[in-house]
This record gives sequence, structure tokens and C-alpha cells, in this order.
Amino acid sequence: MKIISLFVLFILTATTVFAEQRSEIEQCRSDLIGQTMGGRERCWKFQSPSQIKELVIQNKREDVQKRVYSITLILQDPKVPGKYKAEAQVVYEKVDGQMKIKSVGLISIAKIE
Amino acid sequence: MGLTKDQLAQFEQGKVVFKRVFTPENGLGPLFNGNACSECHEDPVAGGVGDEVEVHATRFVPPNTCDPLFQEGGPVIQQNATPLLQAHGIQKEEIPPSATSQARRTTPPVFGFGLIDAIPDETILAYEDPNDKDGDGISGRANRSIDGRLGRFGRKAAVNSLSDFNAGAFPQEQGITTPRLPVEETINGKPVPQGTDPAPDPEISLAEIEQVTNFLRFLAPPPRKFVKDHREQEQVEQGKKIFGKVRCARCHVPEMRTGPSNIQALNKRKVALYSDLLLHDMGPVLADICLDLATPSEFRTELLMGLRFRKHFLHDGRAKTIKEAIEQHGGEAKNSRDAYTALSAKDKEALLKFLETISDLFVPAHDNG
Repeated sequence: MKIISLFVLFILTATTVFAEQRSEIEQCRSDLIGQTMGGRERCWKFQSPSQIKELVIQNKREDVQKRVYSITLILQDPKVPGKYKAEAQVVYEKVDGQMKIKSVGLISIAKIE
Repeated sequence: MGLTKDQLAQFEQGKVVFKRVFTPENGLGPLFNGNACSECHEDPVAGGVGDEVEVHATRFVPPNTCDPLFQEGGPVIQQNATPLLQAHGIQKEEIPPSATSQARRTTPPVFGFGLIDAIPDETILAYEDPNDKDGDGISGRANRSIDGRLGRFGRKAAVNSLSDFNAGAFPQEQGITTPRLPVEETINGKPVPQGTDPAPDPEISLAEIEQVTNFLRFLAPPPRKFVKDHREQEQVEQGKKIFGKVRCARCHVPEMRTGPSNIQALNKRKVALYSDLLLHDMGPVLADICLDLATPSEFRTELLMGLRFRKHFLHDGRAKTIKEAIEQHGGEAKNSRDAYTALSAKDKEALLKFLETISDLFVPAHDNG
């Protein structure tokens, strides 16, 4: 009985963590739209969620005022050939009690296809 | 027509950042091309031309695959290093081994770029004829940046906006990190050695980059060169007609109009840019690197606005005079070049006289005195 309870608790915890992470990824994906990282030839303006083929949160640092996600992305726009793998840093800051996206810093980008 | 008091203040603030000389202590390098925007864009005033020539490299796999080699330090290959980096035996960035070609790039004047920035995409796209449907031997297609947006800035039209250009110019030209590019440029893909970058990142704020964008946005196009002498006036008029007759104007489109803007100085204005901002095949002799959709032989039609301030011509400065530049046009421009070659000496002189007077059509938004 005890083993079953522990197993159920584990499954519930894992599901909750997974769901939270999933919602965090979706929130990040949505917040990126309209943001621009990089510059000149090495520049990406997030124009639609469909450009983000993959988004993985690699790390998260947070304090009362600031949250910084280190993410990896697979990016592709349908109007041009080429797929890109990028590392970026997404910075949020607390404004009026809510975390708002402040900037997206491009750490690296490479053409993969 | 002019700028408001606030806009003038923004222009002046931006000019200060544009002229700021960076040192290793406040962010310069470790790799860089110049230590200030105005080191290259300097003649006859801030925003003008310079004598610096930079190096770009990319990888092209025919028929149409281009890799900008971001992961190997491309496409801009920095030519200088700070003393701290030189102490590690590194004097500059090298051409990446996977590059298939390299290019030299002169500094263009940036007068009137705010007006170019404000031209709607649809206006530019209306000039496209990628498959030469009208059969005149001239195609013209838009370049697009890696994220799919229409390109208009740069010799290959690979950059979408003035704001994006500036955000990338600080890291790539001066080695200044920004919130949009918060880590130092690599040395051909390898991180800079520890202790060679004393300034904390980011080395410039988004607000300061925006100030520079405002400076350039409000920087007036060059005023028209007025010719007083009656005989010269006639010659300029004749040159203008020849410009149309030999079909230079097919690509060097004399005029476009900006879209609606809250900034009165940019709102629905005529811009005498003398470019269609599209890519054209200029033939194998001028070919160098690919960039985004642009193949090695495709270049954006060069803006002729402010042509008289230039001291070198064509994308890499290989032509010492306007005449030489015309004579080196190839590819889609071959017929126009041949038509120029067949002109009488008098007509050639008239055309060159006209080209020297090209400027904007209206009173400038603001002169950069």
C-alpha cells in the first residue's frame, strides 16, 4: 500500500513539474513574438510562433526583480531556405508586480540546414 | 518639414554616441574594425564616407545555398585587435577555412538612410521582376534576412532596418556588446581568451543604440548641388535625359516615397535614392560573397544619393572614378554599359555631370553641420 502511495505521489509530482515546465515554455514562446535578438546579418525578429520549431529551457535564474532563461532554439522562416540553431538569453524584469520580457540576447547562432 | 525640438534633441544625443571613441576600458574589442562609428563614417561630416575597407567572408554552395558562417566568425572578419588580445598573439580574425570567397567593403555615406528605412516593403516589391517577365534583360529580386524579412541595407541588401543594422554594427565593427548581443564576438568561433575583455557586458545600452538610430533616422540626405552656370545647367539636364535613355534608371530608380509616419520629416516624402533596393546579377567580374538569398554575383543596386561625396566606387572601391565604375558594370547592366560606351564624348560628359549633382529633391530634415 505504502509503495503504491509513493508511486502515485511520484507520478503526480512528475506530471505537475512537466506541466509547469511546459507552460513556462509556452509562455516564453509567446513572449518572444515581437522581440528581436542580434543585429545586422545575424539578427532574428520573432514574427510568429511557427518560426520557433523548437524551444528548450536550459537554465533559469531568478530573484525578486529579475528572471533570466537560457534557451536553445531551432528557427526557420518559410519565406527563406535555411534552418538555424540558436542559443539565447531571455531577460524578464518585474514591472507593476508582474514579470515582463525586457530583452532577448543572442548568444550564438549557426546554420544547420 | 524640419524636425521638432524633441527630435532635434534626439538627433544631437545620437550624434554624441555616434562620435564616441571606445577604448578597451569602455568596451572596444577585443576584436574590432574601428573605435567609433564616426571613425569610418567621417567625411565630410559624421555620417559620411571613410577610407577604411573591411573584409567579409561566407560559404556558397551552388546553385543557391549560402552559409554566413556565423559559427566561424563570419560574415564580418574583424581586422584589428586590442593590445590585450595582441598579447595572446592575435592581431586580427582570419578568413574561416570553410569560406568559399571573401569580399572587401568600403564605407558608404549614410545620409538620408532614415528615408530609406521608411520606404514601405510593398513599394520595393513592386519593382521586382525575378523571372524577367517583361523581357528587358533585367530581373531584380528582393533579398531577405535569415528571419524572412525584406532586406534593404548593406551592399547585398541583407539587413531589414536601420535599427537592426545599428544593433549589429556595434558588436561587429567595434566589439561592443549589447543587450541584443550580450557576449563578445568570437575569434573565428572560439571564445576570446580570459582577461582580454575588461569591460562588463553589455557595453552599451539599448537606449544608446536607439539614440544612434535616431541620429541616422534624422540625418538629412545630401542637399542638391546647384549648378549656377547656364551652360552647365543645360549639360546636367542633358545628362539626366541620357541617364534615362541608356536605361540606368531601370535599376537606379530615381525616386520612391516613404510611407505614413508619425515623424513629419519622414511622412510620405519623396526620396531621390536612385536605387530599386533589389538584387541584380552584376556578372562574374564583380562577384564576391553570397549573403542570404544573394548569390556571389548579385548586388543591391547601389544608392547614388550623395554620389559626389564618394572617393571610391563600386562595393569594394575598385573603381577610382564614376566613369570607371560604369565601365565595370556587367551582367544585367551590360546593355546599359554598352549603351554608355557608344555615347559621344559630349554625352558621356553630360551624364557624368548629372551624376555629380544627384541628391535629394527636397529641403533636408536636418543638416549635420
